[in-house]
Amino acid sequence: MSEAWQKVKRFKIHEVWPLLPAAVYLVGFLVIVGAYLVGLSLSFEKNGVTVFPTLRTVAAVVSNTEFRHALLDTALFVIVGTPLELAVGLFLALVLYQQFRFRNFVRSLFLVPLAVPALVTATLLFILFDYPGGHVNFLLTGKYAFFPAILHAPVNWRGSEVFALGISMIGKVWRDMPISMLILLSGLNAIDPELFDAARTMGAGLRTRIWRVVLPLMIPSMSAVILLRSIEMWKEFIFPFILAGKYPLLGTLIESMYNDWGNSNGASAVAAILVLCIVVTTLLFLSIMEFLRRKLVRT
Amino acid sequence: MSTIARVKSLPVEGLKKALWVASIAAAVLLVAGPVYMLFKYSISDSTSINTGGAPIPLWPYHPTFRCFTYLFSDSQFFGVITNSFVIAACTVGMSMLLGVPAAYVLGRFRVPGRRLLLLGLISVRLFPDIASVIPITEFFIRFKLQNTYTGVILAHTLLALPYVIFIGMSAFEAIPDDLEQQARVMGANGFSVFFRILLPLSIPGLVAAAIYTFLLSWDEFIFAYFILGLGKISTLTLFLKQKLAFSPPQNLLAAISVLLSLPVIVFSLMLQKYMTAGITTGSVK
Repeated sequence: MSEAWQKVKRFKIHEVWPLLPAAVYLVGFLVIVGAYLVGLSLSFEKNGVTVFPTLRTVAAVVSNTEFRHALLDTALFVIVGTPLELAVGLFLALVLYQQFRFRNFVRSLFLVPLAVPALVTATLLFILFDYPGGHVNFLLTGKYAFFPAILHAPVNWRGSEVFALGISMIGKVWRDMPISMLILLSGLNAIDPELFDAARTMGAGLRTRIWRVVLPLMIPSMSAVILLRSIEMWKEFIFPFILAGKYPLLGTLIESMYNDWGNSNGASAVAAILVLCIVVTTLLFLSIMEFLRRKLVRT
Repeated sequence: MSTIARVKSLPVEGLKKALWVASIAAAVLLVAGPVYMLFKYSISDSTSINTGGAPIPLWPYHPTFRCFTYLFSDSQFFGVITNSFVIAACTVGMSMLLGVPAAYVLGRFRVPGRRLLLLGLISVRLFPDIASVIPITEFFIRFKLQNTYTGVILAHTLLALPYVIFIGMSAFEAIPDDLEQQARVMGANGFSVFFRILLPLSIPGLVAAAIYTFLLSWDEFIFAYFILGLGKISTLTLFLKQKLAFSPPQNLLAAISVLLSLPVIVFSLMLQKYMTAGITTGSVK
């Protein structure tokens, strides 16, 4: 304690005070969020009497079938959505990696989805996937001359679990494309062209160069995308809230428990479980990456 | 640059070239298509939406700005826009007031344990919004801040403050030490150095942070929804959500959406440099 204090003193505490208000604000809210989340999750309310601490709320949530279903759906949302984000981001990054005439313009254009508010994108998908008369239904039933008929009857997109969550995922992936793209593009740009040349001189074909040179060098930026995007997928709220109201993910379940059922304890317990899911996914992913790295370095 | 030149020099046959043009076209369509659709709906007349079974046209039969003029003549909508504007402006004021001094200290002084300190400052934002909104709403209910401007402004400041600190910090860091030293040699004290030298030089970065904060508050939905509900004080995002629930004409929904996103798109493109820097910093090592 005294040693730390000495250090701070040497750095002239009287010059560091402007940091304090912001620090108090942020750390204060951190304490509030943490304390309320734990406090509410570990409280149980019955007939106006609050019991604390107890695991009854958590137990009630965990045994709830709707919660289990939401947890499973959210896990699927993460497992399918994260690779999709990576694939779409990689596609856009590869397009921008080339040299062509309107490259700067196209680059700016590719950032637009990020600038459109999520609620607006969700609203647009709400309109486009309308039933029976939305653009997508007209398109897929072959009502436009330029597109073949794939369906023979319109689909009620928002009325089906798979499609409603699928559209939510499309919206989420579309909106976040620029983030994945930028991270992957900076990864691509960081590759030394000398390596590419050296591989070619040694007779490596295009496929070998991609698999043996580009891909290994892209691992850091690709794992950054996977990690960041999987966290985002876990916590997604707005798209499923607007487009898949009847089929909750963890995020939308928190909202309906809190606002519709007035169950702040249960909502907090789900929120705490959501945080836990994110922490576990992150640790799992990092340890897998570490394992792979060690294995690759040894052989 | 050389990378790009080398990739281009690979043998490109006709098929490859066609594939390449097709992939650019597909990518542009993927990004611009939905944006075009939003715009198209917002200028559609009612016969282009209620087509009575005929496919919805890709360009409205009779393009019109009626939805926009209707919205601007609606006093409720005017109140909603004003609310969003006031909340965003107050959020900017408060975030800058708290954030700029902090950014100054973190950018100009070798504070011990800086990394740990930064982690501590952003850790409240590591919680998902949908998870931290419950505790904050409960806290605001207890202190009678629910359904108040103050409540939303405090919440939005919480969301924006880490960004203000980070963008501001790099703005202050970029100023050469020599300038500050010289001013001090000439007898300027800490306050004059800050107000006469550091602040003017960091203005571009700070303006970017302020605009970013404004946009964040302008299109924020989750905290506004929990703290204000669909009650007396409504913001643009809440207004849009409220309309969605009553399935109004789609052109009206699209017009509200356009008004909500236009400022964000325009300013985000202007601030591209700062946006992209924020995203890629630290993610690729």
